[in-house]
Formats: sequence, C-alpha cells, structure tokens
Amino acid sequence: MMSRKKIFTLVGVFALTMGWLSPVHAVDEIRIGHIGPTTGWATIFGQQVLNGIKLALAERDYKFRGIPIKLFTEDTKADVEVMRTKLDSLKNRDKVHLIIGPSLGHEGMAAVDWAARNPDVPILVGYSAPEDMTMRKATYSLIRPGWTGSQVIFHFGKFCAKDLGYKKVIIVGQDYSYPWDQAAGFIRGFLENGGEKVLRIWHPVEAVDFSSIMAKLMGLSKEYDAVLNNSGGAQVVAFFKQWYQFGLDKVYPQILGQANVPIVPMLAELGDLALGVYSSLHYYDGNPSPANQKFRESYKKAFGEYPSVIAVQGYDAMHVAFKAMEAIDGKVDDPKKFINAIRNVRMSAEESPRGPFYFDKYGNPVQNIYIKKVVKKNGNLMNIVVKTYKNVSQFGPYADMAEKYMAQPATTRNYPPGEKEAYFREIEKYFGKEYVENLKKNNGWVD
Amino acid sequence: MNDKLSLNIWKIFFGIISISLLLTLPWWSSGYVVMMVIRIMYFGMLTMSLAFLAGELGWVSLMQAAFFGIAGYFVAILQTRYSLPFPIPPLIGIAMATVAAALFGLLVIRTRGIYFLMLTLVLGQLVWALASQWASVTRGDTGIHEVYAPMLFGISTAESKTAFYFFNLIFFVGSIIFLAALKRSPFGLMLRGIRDSESRMRMLGYSVGLLRYCAFIFAAFVAALGGVFFVYFTGLINPHSVSLTTNVDTLLAGILGGINSLGGAILGTGILKMLDVWLSGVTKRYLLFMGIMFMLVIMFAPQGIVGTAKKRLETKRKKTA
Repeated sequence: MMSRKKIFTLVGVFALTMGWLSPVHAVDEIRIGHIGPTTGWATIFGQQVLNGIKLALAERDYKFRGIPIKLFTEDTKADVEVMRTKLDSLKNRDKVHLIIGPSLGHEGMAAVDWAARNPDVPILVGYSAPEDMTMRKATYSLIRPGWTGSQVIFHFGKFCAKDLGYKKVIIVGQDYSYPWDQAAGFIRGFLENGGEKVLRIWHPVEAVDFSSIMAKLMGLSKEYDAVLNNSGGAQVVAFFKQWYQFGLDKVYPQILGQANVPIVPMLAELGDLALGVYSSLHYYDGNPSPANQKFRESYKKAFGEYPSVIAVQGYDAMHVAFKAMEAIDGKVDDPKKFINAIRNVRMSAEESPRGPFYFDKYGNPVQNIYIKKVVKKNGNLMNIVVKTYKNVSQFGPYADMAEKYMAQPATTRNYPPGEKEAYFREIEKYFGKEYVENLKKNNGWVD
Repeated sequence: MNDKLSLNIWKIFFGIISISLLLTLPWWSSGYVVMMVIRIMYFGMLTMSLAFLAGELGWVSLMQAAFFGIAGYFVAILQTRYSLPFPIPPLIGIAMATVAAALFGLLVIRTRGIYFLMLTLVLGQLVWALASQWASVTRGDTGIHEVYAPMLFGISTAESKTAFYFFNLIFFVGSIIFLAALKRSPFGLMLRGIRDSESRMRMLGYSVGLLRYCAFIFAAFVAALGGVFFVYFTGLINPHSVSLTTNVDTLLAGILGGINSLGGAILGTGILKMLDVWLSGVTKRYLLFMGIMFMLVIMFAPQGIVGTAKKRLETKRKKTA
C-alpha cells in the first residue's frame, strides 16, 4: 500500500516538474467576464454594455486569431456586496483574463477597491462615471474606456455662459452623488466663463410630482435665465411633462439636460418633449462618421433597437481589448503585459463610434466632448452636434493642474458654491490667486 | 422518553459532524467555497437577529439591517478617517448600534403586528436616508471603501481568507450560542409568554415593555456583530446595506428557512445566497426561478424548510407513539 502511495507522489512530482519546465503554451481559450446590473431598475445600464460587447465579439466570430473567446456574464443587481462576490467568482471560478464592467456609480467605486486588492485581473470599466475611479483612487489594473461625470459637462457650462449667454441658471435634480457631480462640473465651467449664479434644487430620488418645484421655477423666472434638468429615467419624463403642463416652456427659453437626459432610450420615452434640449457627452447618436453608422445599423440588426452611449461603452471596451491583444500577440495570460497594452491603446475615429480617444496616465480617456441638441430628422429624434471640444481629459480645463484639482474636497449637494464670489474665493485656495486673476482678465478659459 | 433520547443523540451526532466540517472547511474546499460560507455567516447573523424577534416575540422587523449597517458604517468611518487601531472601531460600532437600538426600541416596544412592521420600516428607511444623504460623513451613495480587516496574532485577516473564516466562525457560533441560550433561559420563556398572551403576562406582573425592549436590543447586537464582519470582508459599505432591499432579502431568507428558528434562519440565508450566485451564472432569468421557489415554499411549507421539517417529524413521532 505504501508503495502505491509513493508511486502516486512520484508521478505527481514528475508531472509538476514537467509542467514547470515545458515551454509556456499559448492560450487555448480567452475568457472574458462581463459584470453589471442585468436585472432590476438599472438593467439598461448593464444590458446595453453587454450587448455592445456581444456585438464586437460577433464581428470577429467570437475568435481572436483562431483562439475561441468565451464570454461569462454576471448580474450585480446594483448591489455592491453581490458585485464583489461575483467579481471573486469571475476571477476564481471562471479564471477570466479580463473583466468588463461595472456600469453604475457606486458599483464603480467598489470595483476600484476590489481591483486594488486583485491587481492581477485587468478591468475595463463599463458605464460607471465617478471621477475618483480614475483620480484619487486610481489603480493600475483598472482602465476606463468611458467617461467621468464632470469630464463631459465642464464645457457645457462654458457653452451655456458664452454661446447661449446665460448669467443665472437653476439646476433641478435627484438628490444623490451622480447629479451632485454633474452640477459641480457644470458650475465650474459656467461660473469660470462669465456665469454669475447657479441655484441647485434637489428632490428625492423617486419623486414624480414636481408641482411645487414648477411653481417655484415660475416664481424664479424673473431672476434666472434657464433651467437644467439633472435627473434620470422616470423622473426626467415626469419633469418634462409637467414643465409643459405648467407652461414653463413659455417662460424659459429651453430646457438644458445633464449628460444622460437625452440619450437614445430617453428620447423614445420623451418623444417631442425632448426637442431642442441641449446637453453634452462624449458620444452623440447623430454622428455621421462611418464607424458610428456601421455600429448603429449592425446593433439595430442584432438587437432590434438603436444603441445609446451605454452600448458604445461595451463595444469600445471590447475593441480596446482586441487592440491590446494584437499588441501582445494574444498572450492574455500575462496580466501585467495585457494591462500595459490596454493602457497604450489609441483608438481612431475609424475604429470608435464616438471618435478618437486615448488614455491618460490615470486610465481615463482623453476624448472629444460634444455639445448636442435634440432635433427631428426624417421623423426620428436624434442628437446632433452643435459644438465640439477636442481632446478633453477628465480634468477638463485643469489638465495641467491635476494634483491641485484632486486636492479639493469631494463634491456634495452644495459644494462647490454656486455663487460667483464665493466660488472664486473657494477655488483660489486650491488653484491660486494667479489662476483666478487670469480668469477675470480673459473672462474665462483660454482655448 | 426513549424517543427524546434518540432525538438528542441525533442532535449531538449532527452537531459533531457539522462542527468538524466547519472546522476543517478551508482544507477540503476551495477558496471560493470559503468565501461563500463567510458570506452566509455574516448575513446569517443578520437573519438570526430577525428570526429571534420573530420566533420569540412574533415581531417581524424590517430594520435589522439598520443595526447591521450602523455598526458597519462606524467601523468604516473610524478606521478610514480616524485610523483608529483594531479593536476600537468594531467595539464602538457595536456599541453605537446597540445605543441606536436602545433609542429606536423606546419607539417600537408599544407596537405589535403590522404596526411594528410599519414602524420598523419607517425607522429603517430613516437610517437609509441618513446614509445616502449625509454625504459629508457617509460619502453618500459612493460609500466608504478601503476598509481592511485587522491583523490577528500576526496574521492579516484581510489577506488570508482562512484566517478571516475562523475569525468570523468564532463570532458566528458565539452568536448562535448566545441567542440559543437566551431562548432557553427564563427570559426566553417570558418572551414566548408575551408572544402568546400579552395580557396574561402583564397580569402575572411581568414588565412586558422592558422584556421586549431587552429582546430588541439583544437582536440588534447580533445584527451589529454581523455588520462588522460584512464591512471587514467586503471592505466597503454604502447605503445599499441598510436599504429596504437588504431588509426584505433578510426577511425572505428567514421565511425560506423558517422564521421561527435560528437553524432555519441560517439555512434560508445559505440557500438564498448560494442560489443567487450559482443560478445567476447559469441563467439570466434566475430571479424568475427564485420567485417560483418562494411561491412553492409559501404554498407547501409556510413555516419554512426547518419549520415544516420539524412539524413532519413531530407528526411522525405521534403516529408511531
């Protein structure tokens, strides 16, 4: 009996040494995990990213240079505890080489924390937009081929102040961190470029009756020039309906929206109510570029509806991964190499529906920001571009003051201040006197 | 008599088997299984605190996750913002959750039935609103991250899952023993007396309010203990952990396993948490299957799995007797 045991041990040791000595085998299967909410209220944010990934994979027949690609998908239910467990599942059970996702703000923050503890799995973030994921908490293995909330709205503030000529704006939004960040980015762009005051009105996340807010807006219309809707989903639809019911469209010129207000799924819900809405984003569905047209049509063919920016995120993430795989000859089992390759990917306007982009040293894209307007073309509502700001980083106009920008406190429902004097006093503490004086001298940012 | 003896032998037998299985788990299973068991342990503590109130007092609470979360938030804040060394954050966290229970307890001890449910729902939502709106302290929906489990006897429980597993196991078993002892004690008997006939207990001279008050605080204490392990293991906390969803999930786990017993609470949590991860990997329609499962349980085993199994055993014994 003993000898049998010994034989087993010997064979085991032999097999192990052989495995150790034999040359590294090429990967025989590339495993990719997707994580995001695919059930519950946030389904659209996870599902569209997943669809985008599937579309990109189908373009290549789920293969990379003949090596089959297997896609695993996990639902977070928008709960970070569940997400953490499933990230562990993808890593330990499915042994994935790459994770794409998650999609929501709080999920994103939790994913960075997980990534810092598991630096051997590259993560390409889906739709999550909190800036700290690629700023104060940035970690090397996590790269975001997406956007930050502020990145896309800094220049919208400038546009409203300079091009639309507004001085005072009211922001009405849901009371949680994503809209707070949107408001903060807008305030920076608006006040630094000639705007005077921004009033923030917060309502509970689930509110659908805005009559008291509408009455308030009516009363404030003498003082303020415009209103920016800073909500999402059903709240936007309710807000727009009541906006017209209360006749506010006759009092204010037009409604402005935060980045997510007029995205494609929302246009279907809002219908003609959305006509004329201004907003800003790193993608616009009306982009006539061949890459975008091809993406839209093939997505429609595969999933029966036109895609939104959320799907672009999954599609681009997969293509970034493909480009990185090309660079390392498909050796995805070396995470360090893979992560480096991903960080060095540069996407051209021919490759991405959104236009060209590349990653900054924190892993967030430097990309075009489009100021968009909703119009009707051939009976279809879509966003067309009004103005393009090229190569905007996540620090926006503060690209060369990244450290100073990150030294500022986190945004809250009333930070940064919404009045010009108080705001300038506040930024002087972080950006210095010279910066504020230059702003005053040039009446805004110098392009 | 003979029957009871054999039942006890079975109980001891199962006890020994499960304890030895639990003690050796990290050596015969994968890290993945250990992770799942850790999850079941901390959520199990939360479900047990609910099951204790439900079983002993007939109180169905929708705010146990609030105490779970209060402890978790205190640990996270004290550790990340004030860098307090190890035993202090969890001790303060549990103490604060218990204090919160003492405060909320004053409001709820007079209510029963649906009114208790409604009141705990409101208070639970209050804690949730605080967690999500008081951003300067709780970081709002973003939540607090980078909480690391402590070093114990020179071993980092943040890095070694096995170490964390035993750390958690001690307190998990401890809370089972604590609650089971409470149930067996005269105190537990008095609680059941209140559950069955409050007026009679009052007439016998028991201070019904005080007894309930104590039970509420004890339950919160166990939930808080679970919360500490939750935040240490996941390394983060955000308003979701004190949300209605978490409370309802806890209640569902209780109903599934059997809300009147501690074993049922643990079993229900185990099944729910495992199915959640396992089924969702198999099919995207996993919530549908879980819904069907709940329907079947409610229809055919309204006492939950453990409750129904007990009932079956009892009727069988009566028949043979």
